[in-house]
Amino acid sequence: MTNKNETKQWTLYNANLRTKTLVIIGLSLLVLVLIFVSYLFIDTSSITTNFANANQAPSLSHIFGTDWMGRDMFTRTLSGIGLSIGVGAFASIISTIVAITLGLLSSFNKFFDELVAWIIDLFNSIPHILLIILISISFGGGFYGVIMGVGLTHWTPLARVLRAEVKKIKTTDYVKLSSQLGKSKIWIATKHILPLVTSQIIVGVILMFPHAIMHEASITFLGFGLPPHEPAIGVILSESMNYLSAGYWWLALFPGLTLLIVVLLFDLIGENVEKLLNPETAQT
Amino acid sequence: MNKTRKIVIVAIVVIIIIVAGAAYYGNIVDDDPTHIVVTNGQDEPDSGFNPLTGWGCGHQNFNTLIFSTLLTTDDNGNFTNDLATGYNISDDGLTWTVGIRDDVLFSDNTTLTAKDVAFTFNTAKTSNSELDMSNLVEAVAVDNYTVKFHLEEPQSTFIYNLRYVGIVKADGYDNETFGENPIGSGPYKLVQWDKGEQAIFEVNENYYGETPYFTQVTLLFPDESSLIQLAKSGEADVVQATLTDVNQTVEGYTLVDMPAGRAQGISLPNSNNTGQTTEDGNPIGNNVTADESIRKALNIGIDRQTIVDSVYQGHGAVEYTGVDSREYGNAEEGSVSDGDVATANQTLEEAGWVDSDGDGIREKDGVRASFKLYYPSDDSARQALATVISEQAKTMGIEIELVGTDWDTIYDNMFSSAVVMQQTSADPYRSVYQQYHSKEYTDDDYMNPNGYNNSAIDTILEAGMTATDQETANEYWKEAAYNDGEGFSPNGDAPWLWVATYDYSYFVADDIDMGTAAENNGQDVLMNIVEWTRTNTTS
Repeated sequence: MTNKNETKQWTLYNANLRTKTLVIIGLSLLVLVLIFVSYLFIDTSSITTNFANANQAPSLSHIFGTDWMGRDMFTRTLSGIGLSIGVGAFASIISTIVAITLGLLSSFNKFFDELVAWIIDLFNSIPHILLIILISISFGGGFYGVIMGVGLTHWTPLARVLRAEVKKIKTTDYVKLSSQLGKSKIWIATKHILPLVTSQIIVGVILMFPHAIMHEASITFLGFGLPPHEPAIGVILSESMNYLSAGYWWLALFPGLTLLIVVLLFDLIGENVEKLLNPETAQT
Repeated sequence: MNKTRKIVIVAIVVIIIIVAGAAYYGNIVDDDPTHIVVTNGQDEPDSGFNPLTGWGCGHQNFNTLIFSTLLTTDDNGNFTNDLATGYNISDDGLTWTVGIRDDVLFSDNTTLTAKDVAFTFNTAKTSNSELDMSNLVEAVAVDNYTVKFHLEEPQSTFIYNLRYVGIVKADGYDNETFGENPIGSGPYKLVQWDKGEQAIFEVNENYYGETPYFTQVTLLFPDESSLIQLAKSGEADVVQATLTDVNQTVEGYTLVDMPAGRAQGISLPNSNNTGQTTEDGNPIGNNVTADESIRKALNIGIDRQTIVDSVYQGHGAVEYTGVDSREYGNAEEGSVSDGDVATANQTLEEAGWVDSDGDGIREKDGVRASFKLYYPSDDSARQALATVISEQAKTMGIEIELVGTDWDTIYDNMFSSAVVMQQTSADPYRSVYQQYHSKEYTDDDYMNPNGYNNSAIDTILEAGMTATDQETANEYWKEAAYNDGEGFSPNGDAPWLWVATYDYSYFVADDIDMGTAAENNGQDVLMNIVEWTRTNTTS
């Protein structure tokens, strides 16, 4: 791999790919952390109504405009995104736990391997949104319902990757040796297999995040998630639909754009982390 | 090459035909001036156009098109004869005798007799509807044109049943299918019902009353969010305006406010939570709202006028008792000062509610002044009301936690938490007697959900029921609101926090003359449809 390529990639400054990747990750992370930290410092009860200011277009005092109850859309959007990131985080943790458990389970024997493959196929065969709605309703809806709904449906891609990886690792000599030495299946799974799939898990989790956020937003948008007085991004967007015909474009544009940017940032981080952890994918 | 060209030409021709066809059929304009398209203040009736089933009964909405009632309301709000020729009540109040007109035909050319009237009421008793006929023993057709109603106990409000129950044709009635093929004696008959979309009514040639100007009425059932588009595109002549729409202007339409006696307010559980539950296990009672000082303070401190001006954008009025605008309302004695936070705070402090830990919320004996307020999440007006109430209560040191959810969840929690409720019934049997008379907690029974229980007021309400004429009854209803420091008004026991009556607003096309609407008619705009005309027929 020679670095003398004529069609040079974009350069803001001279740095190697590794540094650039790290810079991209760092910057994206900074933005996301900033958003999340400022969300933690917003007192949601400070978003008070002011009907005299209802439906104001963006201005210096309300840079995202105001909604139908005169509430500042910037603070609402920020708390909505923060909430989404929170849901995404919880849901990712749940998904990861499920994925790792199933991935390792598949290493036990052929029966468990088939079983895991069957569960993954089963979950994949049900439309995603439908499944999330069903699960979140059965958990009683609300914040908890959304987390469970999103968390229990987003583990399939990671579990699939882990299962494939586990199959590969199981053919190695040291695993065979360990089992001949009488080590238990659980010992092999946790001592030999788990450490080797850590990089897949990290990348999988980060890439799960944007999906989780999008799905949280979409089921809330459809009215199955959080109640309408919560400043959730899906609630904000579905409310804005009622006002499009009245020409209140800012109600949909800014929150939608914010959601998009946050999701893209997570995607960016995920891709770049993957470049770092699996260097063979970096040049493709 | 030739083949490709041919295919392209054929494709173009097909596309042109489709586009032209769609444009032609999509734009068929009904320019007959005697046809009118409306949306009214009601959802599509799930069970069809049957006055004896479903949610909407007890209101006029579509009923008024297809069905006629024994009594009707004149422009002054008095009950006058419609199908009835007169009525009298026996001295013991247990028998109501009503004479029926002998010249009335149903839309299918059969004669309406006392049998149909008796059948209608007897069926209403068992049809599993919102109509409460539990006090009716039996309706009997004495002869072809006289019907007798035998009551269990005297019920002065029975007259509202004569006013509001549409008379159906007995012969061939089926509770399941009648809604799709209704037969009545009203000014119109149903000719087409596209479920989820619209219902089309044509004039009933047999109607005995005034012949309406409009020969065809189309009732649309759009989503709330697309209502305004119907006006903007000129598709409908009368369009209900939601809170979102009321500050918009639509060319060729005037926004008309119609009071409807639609009182909105908060039910506050009156009893303590002692661990008691309903049969289904739903909790009863709330230790915060059971304290009268909390309820009084909210009633005094909440600024109703500001809420009317902001949440309802002026399309309403302040409300204190839930029935202020009815002739039996008693806002004079029942109301308290509005938005007086100082007095509210004083009331709370005197009762021992003080903020001892400095978190902005008061406590008393270790109980935080905090409770949950449920509202239906698909109703933007109630959401806005709940939000503002919670904000205002906070300034008094009372924390109100909002829960936006579906009605099933609300019904499970209404005995132990506050709920944004609405009262629209004109019938004092519902709006006063059932609303404020003490009763056992029954699951899903949303009348008096907060368990108001005052035996002195119960006695007055019972006296109101046994009164033999309307004036006397109305006096009792007024007394129940406020009597010597007690009653269901804020000035009495303050069981509720009523906030506002919310008008129905409609975009009305400038060429439509809606005649003189009866008082508080906003929800049932079609009630005087026979008076409606189109003034400019050149359109």
